[in-house]
Amino acid sequence: MGTVVVGILVLGVAAFALCTLIRDKKNGKCCSGSCGSCKGCGRPGE
Amino acid sequence: MALKIALAGNPNCGKTTLFNGLTGSNQFVGNWPGVTVEKKEGRLKGRKDVTVIDLPGIYSLSPYTLEEVVARNYLLRERPDVIINIIDGTNLERNLYLSTQLLELGIPVVMAVNMADILEKNGDQIHIGKLEEKLGCRVAEISALKGTGIQKAAELAIAAAGGKKPPVVHTFGAEAEYALKEAEGRIGSLVPEEQKRFYAVKLLERDDKIGEQLQQQLEVEDLISGLEKALEDDVESILTNERYVYISSIIKECCTKGKRQAVSVSDQIDKIVTNRILALPIFAVVMGLVYYISVTTIGGWGTNWVNDGVFGEGWHLFGIEGIFVPGIPVLAEAGLQAIGCAEWLQGLVLDGIIGGVGAVLGFVPQMLVLFMFLAFLEACGYMARVAFIMDRIFRKFGLSGKSFIPMLIGTGCGVPGIMASRTIENDRDRKMTIMTTTFIPCGAKLPIIALIAGAFFHNSWWVAFSAFFVGIAAVICSGILLKKTRMFAGDPAPFVMELPAYHMPTLGNVLRSMWERGYSFIKKAGTIILLSAIVLWFLQGFGWVDGAFGMLEEEQLDHSILAAIGNVIAPIFAPLGWGDWKMAVAAVTGLIAKENVVTTFGILFGFGEVAEDGAEIWSILSASMTSVAAYSFLVFNLLCAPCFAAMGAIKREMNNAKWFWFAVGYQTILAYLASLCIYQLGSLFTTGAFGVGTAAAVLIAAMFFYLLVRPRREYGSRAVNVRGMAK
Repeated sequence: MGTVVVGILVLGVAAFALCTLIRDKKNGKCCSGSCGSCKGCGRPGE
Repeated sequence: MALKIALAGNPNCGKTTLFNGLTGSNQFVGNWPGVTVEKKEGRLKGRKDVTVIDLPGIYSLSPYTLEEVVARNYLLRERPDVIINIIDGTNLERNLYLSTQLLELGIPVVMAVNMADILEKNGDQIHIGKLEEKLGCRVAEISALKGTGIQKAAELAIAAAGGKKPPVVHTFGAEAEYALKEAEGRIGSLVPEEQKRFYAVKLLERDDKIGEQLQQQLEVEDLISGLEKALEDDVESILTNERYVYISSIIKECCTKGKRQAVSVSDQIDKIVTNRILALPIFAVVMGLVYYISVTTIGGWGTNWVNDGVFGEGWHLFGIEGIFVPGIPVLAEAGLQAIGCAEWLQGLVLDGIIGGVGAVLGFVPQMLVLFMFLAFLEACGYMARVAFIMDRIFRKFGLSGKSFIPMLIGTGCGVPGIMASRTIENDRDRKMTIMTTTFIPCGAKLPIIALIAGAFFHNSWWVAFSAFFVGIAAVICSGILLKKTRMFAGDPAPFVMELPAYHMPTLGNVLRSMWERGYSFIKKAGTIILLSAIVLWFLQGFGWVDGAFGMLEEEQLDHSILAAIGNVIAPIFAPLGWGDWKMAVAAVTGLIAKENVVTTFGILFGFGEVAEDGAEIWSILSASMTSVAAYSFLVFNLLCAPCFAAMGAIKREMNNAKWFWFAVGYQTILAYLASLCIYQLGSLFTTGAFGVGTAAAVLIAAMFFYLLVRPRREYGSRAVNVRGMAK
């Protein structure tokens, strides 16, 4: 039971991380990196 | 009704501060050109139907720089409902030059005279009513920094947006006006009535981009020659002079200057900071102090607490002996065992996720302190001086200080640094800047620097300091080498930049910038680093033993999938002193994100298990290679191809596959050769070892030295036989 719970949690966290990356990429952000003044991935106006 | 307000003005006049004040967004305020290249949008506070657009800082609406083209394209094509023109009240003459051009666009304009607080301090006075009369538009006195007057500026802008078309108050001399009227006639119905004047002026100035926008080449050369003959000067000078005559009349009638010191405080400081002899040593001392405090003292204490306490056995709350807080690995292990979680899953959570991500998060304190100092230096105005200082040095090696600005931006992240190279007009210099920007350590490389410094050099401050200057040396040497090749030969472009006055940055601005960068780092740890850690854990935790594939024991690491991959590439790095598969894999995973180098070490060296046996993980690492090899490893990771995100930026900016591969290849080869020389020659000096590798390193160093000192050839010149001519 514990394995299942932890397994679901880990999968959930990994899926969330992956979705965040994909969403950021679609929104023109590079890699959620330590940029501060990131202008995105070179797509003007986004 | 939806409204669009565009903020336009010179660089460093306070546009972004005003933008923050109007919209409540946390946009960072920098002090050198290139911080705002793309436009930013936000909603006006309290008015969801009003959009505010922060345009790049520009000095005029000419087509010479990318910022100017971006700004004017927006103003001409998207036609905001009103422009708030922010002008620096302490420098009216230069700021009003742009204003005279904005007023010709046919878009309602509201002036916001900024730095009202400094004007008051200096005893200067601007007569707002008179200024409104002379300019033909409403004027608000504001202090964007203190937040005063910005509400009024917004209200005036909204009122002006709904009003009638603004009249043109400024007129040129009779001859110029005649030429303009004729040009407007030729434009006819190609543009709306209110825009004709702007287009007519640009046509007379021979603005080649205007023809593209009119979608038709209009002949005005006869008008231009007539004007130039009449006034005996070139048309650009004529129009520029007349604008400044108008501006002088405004200043004379609308401004009263208070008493001021002959030399300002900023100028007095600059006499020392930009002094020919003292500038570089001062810069070295400043950066040395920054890295000393970030890596060794304050930042180092914080990192020790996170590594040994939060991600270790635990720590005493506020140092009180009686209150002990167990570390995350201890709590996690206890929790996982209590709920009966399977061993392999415990391994994933403890060794993979906590081990990998925790290894990177351990360096957050050092990074926060470093970011805070960099934000302070940027906000107070010192970084602008650094670009000026570096211009003097770079110019000797074929580059200009403008190339240093992307590198300064790259100290945060290489991606915006590479993109900031767009401000360099010269194509050769731009390509060279793109190729060398990532040599300066970005924020993601700091954990690698701190790791090597901590594990091999007792947290010495000079490791981080030397890493920064190795980057600068790589830039300068690359400049010298590449400028002697046909591909990059040519004189550096002129570099003109404004040195803004020094000012004490607000604590809020500095902390906001520090948190912005720090949060991005933490977010990255929770996404890309986390996913990489899971994949890495799987690859190092599973493999083949006696022909059977399955989960491995701790001592069977060398049978893992990761080891199999690593053993293929490890021999490549043997001459560099770190031919072990773990180091090779760590360097390769750094391509995904540089922090992954530390993540990989964290997983492979059992960072998550430190709670069990209490051993210092970094002492296990330090036993795996010599200090010289470690420094070689550090230099390789600093100089080699950057992460995938930065490589993507290089590919986009180069816009050419061949150039992209050349750039990445150059960086990797330079990193390889530099690391080889450091390890082989370093081993020679420390242990006296001499072998094939040492001989190769000596040859490479000699070749490098020759390439640096060989005379520059003039490409494109033809040899002339003088004797033949004499006959």
